[in-house]
Amino acid sequence: MTGSILIIAAFMIIPLIVGLVSARQSQGTSEDFFVQGRAMGSVAVFFTVAATWWSAFAFLGSNATFYTSGPVYLTALAWNLLFGFMYYWIGKRVWFLGKRFNYLTPSDLMGDFYNSEALRILVAVITLVFTIPYLQIQLTGGAYLIEVASGGVIPFWLAALLFYFIIIVYVWVGGIRAIAWTDVIYGALLFFGMMYAGYYISNQVGGPTALFAQLASSSPAHLTMPGPNGNMGYSMWFSLFMIVAIGAFMGPQIWLRMYSVKSGRLFNLMPFLLGLAAFAYVGSVLTGYSGVLLEPGLENPDQVLPVMLMNYAPYLLASLIMAAGAAAAMSTANSQIHAVSTVVTMDIYQRYVNRHASQSRIVFIGRLSLVGFSLAAYIMALTVPGLLVTIGIAALAGTAQLIVPTIGAITWRRAHPMAAFWGLIGGIACVLWLTYGASVSNPLGLHAGIWGLIINSGLFVVLSLALERRDSDVVERFAKARQDYVAEYHPEQCDDEQTATPQTAQAR
Amino acid sequence: MRKTFTTRKLAIYGGMLLGFIMLESPLVMVANHVEPMVMGVPFLFVWNLGWWAFLTILFLIAYLTNWGSTTRGGMAVSSPKRDD
Repeated sequence: MTGSILIIAAFMIIPLIVGLVSARQSQGTSEDFFVQGRAMGSVAVFFTVAATWWSAFAFLGSNATFYTSGPVYLTALAWNLLFGFMYYWIGKRVWFLGKRFNYLTPSDLMGDFYNSEALRILVAVITLVFTIPYLQIQLTGGAYLIEVASGGVIPFWLAALLFYFIIIVYVWVGGIRAIAWTDVIYGALLFFGMMYAGYYISNQVGGPTALFAQLASSSPAHLTMPGPNGNMGYSMWFSLFMIVAIGAFMGPQIWLRMYSVKSGRLFNLMPFLLGLAAFAYVGSVLTGYSGVLLEPGLENPDQVLPVMLMNYAPYLLASLIMAAGAAAAMSTANSQIHAVSTVVTMDIYQRYVNRHASQSRIVFIGRLSLVGFSLAAYIMALTVPGLLVTIGIAALAGTAQLIVPTIGAITWRRAHPMAAFWGLIGGIACVLWLTYGASVSNPLGLHAGIWGLIINSGLFVVLSLALERRDSDVVERFAKARQDYVAEYHPEQCDDEQTATPQTAQAR
Repeated sequence: MRKTFTTRKLAIYGGMLLGFIMLESPLVMVANHVEPMVMGVPFLFVWNLGWWAFLTILFLIAYLTNWGSTTRGGMAVSSPKRDD
């Protein structure tokens, strides 16, 4: 017990040291605090994106889903690849525009391209409202692990409190630089923990091959869709693929990691690295399925990993792997808290409260926001129950809606502010209605987020074609930026672009 | 130049489309079986791991060929061979 407490203590002290060291390089400007002066290098970018993208949802929720619902979470292999592809195709364009026009938040890009204050506010509200529940699941997951790893000596409420205290301190002093540095440690721990836990636990039933053979005879429904409960079939397979990848990608924490990158070349490599990292889910498969054989009927499936580690692994090894799980939670939570505080500071305080705020004042407000959002997430973690994956997907379905106006902004001259605004309203309303509306079942079994995207896209395209933008200076400024992007990264397309532009203008 | 660019880029993006279709279209239900097990692993898992490996390798090839573009890292490649 003492050993595990020491591991937990070390795990909490190391990020503090890293944060304090990284703070020495801070320059006291908002750009440095929020996006590291747009100079983040390749190693830090990979680890901070991967560790931010993989959360308690992945570390604990994946095991729980294999345990309760069969193979549907295997679609994670594909959603990691989709996330990586979007990071290249959309992220690189967002990065280019961010660098050119000095953006810090999602609202900056949308508000500028669509030239609409209403849309700017709507985007900020969506990012805030739907990020906080996702933040809550990080806190819940991390606190579960610390509670179990300490053998109950540290209760859930205290674990959650400690968890956020640490994050607040090092993000306060070091901003996104401290997060990126700690994410390198967290990321490595996370991948090691997922794979080694699966390998170790499956050996308790004779190894992976023996595990599948036993499962095929005792509970074959766990090995095919729709799973043992009969509710996780193809529609959920496809829904998860779309909603998780797009929803996480559109979260403000990932936007900041698009703006922070130093070189455009790095975006070309990220799909491969993020795809490769998805192999760690094999560890979750083994853990979740071993749980079916070894610990059937757990009351809280999210605890399948910690419970099995405590029952079948040496105490210190179990504590170390659970520290890796806490890493998954912490590395996403730190980024989310930092991102929502960036949104509040830049999109609300600096734009509507104090336009002429000094750099030090902006950074100070950002730090205060850290504390406020941490408190909100802490209260939610103590009072709002629910499975990690269930809460996570509902939150991701909301942020996923932002992809429609984003693609419009980076590719389409005709994209209209009213279309973006009403598309988002329609998409979000659909998500909320299908999620919380009484006695409504989702058509075709698809998740509410998918239907939200369909309605959002339909409204966006139809209204954009029906309406005409009058702010041609803004449209031309972005068209020029897009041409410059193509000229720099895909010059072979320049001829097409240059000939297409006048034709489009003529057609309009 | 056009022919080289089109062929390479089409191959990369076409391969990606194929991989995602195999993983995420209703075709995946064709592989939704325990048997035949391959090296002790259920067929649905083998199917997913196989197409995941295919796409991951394709992403590496995409990186090495600058995603089918005729540039490297934002610098135009002026080699006459590429411009043919």
